[in-house]
Amino acid sequence: MTVENRPRFPGRRRWVFLGVAAVFLFCAWFLGLTPSGLIPPDAERWDRTGRFFSAAFSPALDYQDDSVPDTADPILVKGLKGILQTLRFALAAMSLAVPTALVLGFFGSSAWWPEPCGRALKIVLRTVFVSCRFVMSFARSIHELIWALLILSALGVSPLAGMIALAIPFAGTLGKVFSEIIDEEAREAATALKAIGHRPVQTFLVGIFPRALPDLITYSFYRFECALRASAVLGFVGIETIGLYIQLSHEEFYYREVWTYFYLLLAMIVIVDLWGAQIRKRLNPTKA
Amino acid sequence: MTESESSRDRRIAELRRSRSKDWFLQGSGLFLGALAIWAWLSTGKLTGRLPFERRWQNFKNFLGDLTPSPVRKSDGDWTEAVPWAWNLFAERGAVALMNTIAIACAAIVLAAVVVLPFLPLASRRLGRRDPFGIYPGKETNQQGAFAKPTLLDRFSKWQIVGGATRFLFVLARAVPEYILAFLLIALLGLQVWPLVLALAIHNFGILGRLFGEVVENADDAAARQGIGAGMTRKQVFATTIFPAIFNRFLIYFFYRWETCVKDATVLGMLGLLTLGHLIALSKGFFWDQMLFFVLLGASVIMVGDLVSTGIRKTLRDPS
Repeated sequence: MTVENRPRFPGRRRWVFLGVAAVFLFCAWFLGLTPSGLIPPDAERWDRTGRFFSAAFSPALDYQDDSVPDTADPILVKGLKGILQTLRFALAAMSLAVPTALVLGFFGSSAWWPEPCGRALKIVLRTVFVSCRFVMSFARSIHELIWALLILSALGVSPLAGMIALAIPFAGTLGKVFSEIIDEEAREAATALKAIGHRPVQTFLVGIFPRALPDLITYSFYRFECALRASAVLGFVGIETIGLYIQLSHEEFYYREVWTYFYLLLAMIVIVDLWGAQIRKRLNPTKA
Repeated sequence: MTESESSRDRRIAELRRSRSKDWFLQGSGLFLGALAIWAWLSTGKLTGRLPFERRWQNFKNFLGDLTPSPVRKSDGDWTEAVPWAWNLFAERGAVALMNTIAIACAAIVLAAVVVLPFLPLASRRLGRRDPFGIYPGKETNQQGAFAKPTLLDRFSKWQIVGGATRFLFVLARAVPEYILAFLLIALLGLQVWPLVLALAIHNFGILGRLFGEVVENADDAAARQGIGAGMTRKQVFATTIFPAIFNRFLIYFFYRWETCVKDATVLGMLGLLTLGHLIALSKGFFWDQMLFFVLLGASVIMVGDLVSTGIRKTLRDPS
């Protein structure tokens, strides 16, 4: 191969690289990010960093706080209870979010629209479609923590408020992706069913929905993993999940306790992640 | 029942029996269902301690406080709200907004750049003793390349590195970014780096998995040629696989960027000047201002969503 017909570095890709680099440099300049910010600023924080990371190798198996009465649960039991609470909030929220998302996703997709379709009907369908899309977009544009802040302030601190706060943005995200999955599903079966006289909604239920189901389940499970993380973080606004324990122990500088809770949280999420990988593999044998 | 009907029913029953069943999936479904029921039953009192009337009163007060204060003072004159909103935006909102977006951009670029060299290691097809089934080592060892993989091969250097890299991705994405940022702020002080790092680490894990799937599904014709011609794994990745799937990488890059903007908003609640900080500050005293900042954040994310969807669409079907 001579030098002349050596394939050239495509122009468009170069611009993407340059653009991304420029944006990064601008952001770093704007935020004042300098490498020196990456090291702890003073001796006290150096010391704290050292203690924090050395605590990683000896997570607490007993409370570091001496004032904890002997009658209290051992720390591992307390941690596991926190994990169960985290799981509980995530599951309760998902069991609210998935049915809501199925309804929203159905009305936010166009796969079940009759064809041909009268003008008046079309206007109604379009209105429903657009308003559903807007509701979903709005619901997921506000982070679950902010939903939690809003709902907890409106209704007071209660488990139900936490679950609803988690469920709203998750229903929005799930609904959006559900509608996209449904709309992108192959239509051969639906076309055939339509040709032999099925009504549009029947066609959807028999011809499109079952084919989309594996993708819907896979995605819901992925969101369940996200819900677990979000549920742990809800501890920071006062809901009693593992995040609350992490925050409280950290404020008292009981770093070894922090690591105990942290390891438990990581273990749960990693286990669920591996479980999800198995489910994905079994639902889509060809894709995996 | 006619004969054709009964034979049809038989056939349906036959098909039903022969449908694929997977005990693992069924078990998982049942288990999750049972857990969900437990989640609702074990809650005890769902609604907290306050009596319902108190709650209702609180809720009405809360709704009233959401109305912008100048509107409340002037008895429902909504024209007063415009200068109020503009003031809030110009004085504090705009800077917080820029910070939020800048943090998201910096974090996602960092994550995407750092994850790239890990991808060939994590790939099950490339990060092994014989990439794509081609053994690139010494000729004298070639016999072994075509032999059945032994137990020892499962623990070869490449298998261990690959497994460790994939586990690193799992660990990185398992950490909730909010908790990570909270811990890092205690160590590095109240500055922007902890937020950027927390977002970058979490997204490093997620991009590792998303990019990894793209690498595994990529066409390997050119890569095989490369390995056969004596290129190293990293060279093959950089010159054949990476260019071919560049568009799909960008699709995921922008999808995660969009999520980063949303997460950067709330990370401010830890005490730094992004929108979340303003929201946390006005909470409890200035509900109207809080609502303004929440809606400002939501509209930015909706715009980011549209931008990202548009870019991803053009990337998916380039005209």
